[in-house]
Amino acid sequence: METLMTSLGLNLVQGILLLIFAPLVAGIINKTKARLQKRRGASIFQEYFDICKWWKKATVLTPYTSVIFILAPVVYFMTSLYAATMVPGFLTGQFTVGDAFIFVYILALGRFFMTLSSMDAATSFGGMGGSREIYISVLVEPAIMLAILINSIRYHSTTLSSMVIDYDGAYFTVSAVLACIAFFLVMLAENSRLPVDNPDTHLELTMIHEGMTLEYSGKLLSLIHLGSYLKIIVFLTMFGALYVPINIPLAVKILLGAIIIGIVETLNNKMRLFKVRVYLGAAIVLLLLAIIAE
Amino acid sequence: MDFMMISLLIYLLGTLTIVFPKRIELFAHYLGMICAALGSGLVAYSALNYLLYPADSWLIETGWGSYSLQADAWSSAFLLLTGVAGVMISLYAIDYGKGYLGNRIRLLSGLWNLFIMSIVLVLISGDAFTFIVAWEIMALVSFLLVNHEAGKKKTVSAAYQYMVMTHIGTAAIMVAFYLVGSSSMSFSFGDMANNSLTGFMKDVAFVCAFLGFALKSGLMPLHIWLPNAHPAAPSHVSALMSGVMLKVALYGFGRFAFQFIGMDVFWYGLVVMVVGLISAFLGVLYATMEVDMKRILAYSSVENMGIIFAAFGCGMVLYAMQQPIISIVAFTAALVHAVSHSLMKGLLFMSSGAVMHATGSKNIELMGGLAKKMPYTALFTLVGSMALSSLPFTSGLVGEWLTLQSFITLAQQAANPELRLLVIFAFIMLGLTGATALGCFVRLYGTAFLGRARSNIVDKAHEMPVFMLLGMGLEAVLIVAIGVMPDILVNMMQQVFSGIAAVSMGTPLGIIWGGSGHYAIYSPGIIFIMFALIGVFMVAALYRSSTFVKQDVTWNCGTVPTSRQQYSATGFSKPLRRAFEGILSPQRTRTYLRKEHAYFGRKLRYDLSIPDLFNDKLYKPMQQWMINSSSAFHKIQEGSVSLYIGYTMVAMIVVLIWGVLL
Repeated sequence: METLMTSLGLNLVQGILLLIFAPLVAGIINKTKARLQKRRGASIFQEYFDICKWWKKATVLTPYTSVIFILAPVVYFMTSLYAATMVPGFLTGQFTVGDAFIFVYILALGRFFMTLSSMDAATSFGGMGGSREIYISVLVEPAIMLAILINSIRYHSTTLSSMVIDYDGAYFTVSAVLACIAFFLVMLAENSRLPVDNPDTHLELTMIHEGMTLEYSGKLLSLIHLGSYLKIIVFLTMFGALYVPINIPLAVKILLGAIIIGIVETLNNKMRLFKVRVYLGAAIVLLLLAIIAE
Repeated sequence: MDFMMISLLIYLLGTLTIVFPKRIELFAHYLGMICAALGSGLVAYSALNYLLYPADSWLIETGWGSYSLQADAWSSAFLLLTGVAGVMISLYAIDYGKGYLGNRIRLLSGLWNLFIMSIVLVLISGDAFTFIVAWEIMALVSFLLVNHEAGKKKTVSAAYQYMVMTHIGTAAIMVAFYLVGSSSMSFSFGDMANNSLTGFMKDVAFVCAFLGFALKSGLMPLHIWLPNAHPAAPSHVSALMSGVMLKVALYGFGRFAFQFIGMDVFWYGLVVMVVGLISAFLGVLYATMEVDMKRILAYSSVENMGIIFAAFGCGMVLYAMQQPIISIVAFTAALVHAVSHSLMKGLLFMSSGAVMHATGSKNIELMGGLAKKMPYTALFTLVGSMALSSLPFTSGLVGEWLTLQSFITLAQQAANPELRLLVIFAFIMLGLTGATALGCFVRLYGTAFLGRARSNIVDKAHEMPVFMLLGMGLEAVLIVAIGVMPDILVNMMQQVFSGIAAVSMGTPLGIIWGGSGHYAIYSPGIIFIMFALIGVFMVAALYRSSTFVKQDVTWNCGTVPTSRQQYSATGFSKPLRRAFEGILSPQRTRTYLRKEHAYFGRKLRYDLSIPDLFNDKLYKPMQQWMINSSSAFHKIQEGSVSLYIGYTMVAMIVVLIWGVLL
């Protein structure tokens, strides 16, 4: 019991560490994009200032909303934070209770409440975002399942900490490289990044995640943003620890991952909504090949 | 086991309310529902007792002529499920049934008792005859209950469709029983286990049994009766049909698989698994397209039965691969998901009844903002929707997680590439199903309970009376309790399979699955504690600071939004409809009611229908073929008596010649 409590404590510490660094990673992505677009861009600490700014502002609620609207950002943030405690980040080898499928369903809990809240403000923008979010999640989910399947076949476990790449064995395999590429594609879709969603605009033609959060302000908005920054760093951690078959420190992988996201976002346009199924279909085919090659 | 007999007597007493005089019909209704709740309580108690303290045998009674009753661990699991659902739904029906005052309410409460009793009888029957008789009572009584609102044309056609389909299923089951029984020279379940079926006849018996039970549990493509029959029935009846009657089919199939036919043939499990997976995805896809609340739930039942059968099929495959110990996880997954589905589908059908009670409609496109009018119902529905989306802290995830683990285990056992491809298919299907189910229930809950009222039927909505809330509330509490502490249920359910192998998965820490080098753990209790810790911190942070909350209307580009500008349920599922266009083939028609100018003043009528794939591609051609072939026969069978006598004579002559020649 005592070891369990220690391990849970360490997990919480990891979650808080990721929480602290999450806005920084988002800042690095934005800085990369700005530099590549020949702009000076905001400081990499800008996201911290934004969060503090929103936290200080008043929250405007529409009279149509129910308690779900206030609950949703809280749940979304909590699920992201919980996901941060369970990814195999800096605590690999510890006894963690993070199961990969539970990881997926914890994130689904956050998505459930966010999409519900999008329908709560009684506006067409919100519903549009929620509807598209569901569409993309339906396409992403099989890919994530397959990605979990690969590592669990290889390491005989669905516990995230046991699924970390084992550098003592042969790790740079065809299967691992394919899975790495596929998971990167999935990560972009899951975190509402280009080319699936555009995180920079509120334009109704492009918006998915931003459409859902259009009615939010103040503390609730800052929670949502913090939650999505956390989700990026959580996915980067998982990507680095489970799928990048290169033996370098995890922190470097996260940093490089953030920079690559910035580069990819600069080089690509947002694709049409119904092209996304081709994009994610490609990810699924890559994963399929990876499992066959395993 | 004496309790079992007493409960049957109580049900019979409840059935007698049919003949009560009309002037005390309210009393008859109360008596009927109390009898049903009491009887179900006793059933649940005795089943629970047996599961917690397993005795050697649970033989109840043998030898009333050819009828015998018996129960073992496999039937106890289903008796428990029936009992629990029976108590909750009967409590709910105390208030809900009052809506049928003056509309043959005595018949409704009497048949209700008979319905639960027939389900219990199916589960405790000890031989094929008793089983078939009880099965038929169940089918007929549920037909009468579906047909209760016989004034509506749709109801009648749904009821008769159900009647025809269910009898095709019964015929298949009877063939299966006959094959097994004739090869073992007895129709008692104990003797039928020692049958000598082999080879082709065994395959036929399996196919017939699977056909019959798959039809009753609504697996695709045999599901077409289900989305019509369940919405037509009164809500508490649909809750019991969906929550319990579909599971009884799993009980029957399990009896065949475990006891009569065996699971040593590899492809039996494969067939069950693939049919289950396809039903799971297509079921939820159709559910996401519907706007009738009860049809959504009915299609979602197809989905969940699909998942249950997929897990069961996975267990059969693992067993056929000589891995009895690890097949337990799959069988437990099927059973746990069956129990949790009976709870959550019961809850949601009850809440759809509440919504109908409040608004008088089943169409979610006309609703909106119900959460403010009926907060408790909204809360319970939220729990049920979360459970059906298999989210953490609900019982839905327990079954789903075990199902996923069983497929992972199958993947690790799969040495040949064909099986590995099948596992990939399974994971793609389960992933699609999980995410679409989430979308489906977000859409249902978001359209009906959140946002603003889409029509004035919501204005008169009100909170439900106490017994309806009690029934729903108890189910919601059970769902969350199982979701947070799954070990009790999981241990109880894997006990059922102690005949195959003894495995212990449930621990106070959570469910730990460690089969054949594979390791996984799900500890919702710990997740719950962690969430609570984070939650306390969050709430403190949110409420300690003194930032004020303002109220203002929704941003709508400078105009005041109307409630018609909200996303509709049909619009919400549009991207999915487009993405899976090839399967759904939506039929759209657009008619201009008024079009004086190309750009304004137009009045449009937009109709959308999504025909059921199997209805159009399988049943309609089949029906057409039958009509054509009967009209071909019509030429030689025209009703003239002299012609018929002539046929007889010709037949006689042919027989005579045949006899002489041979």
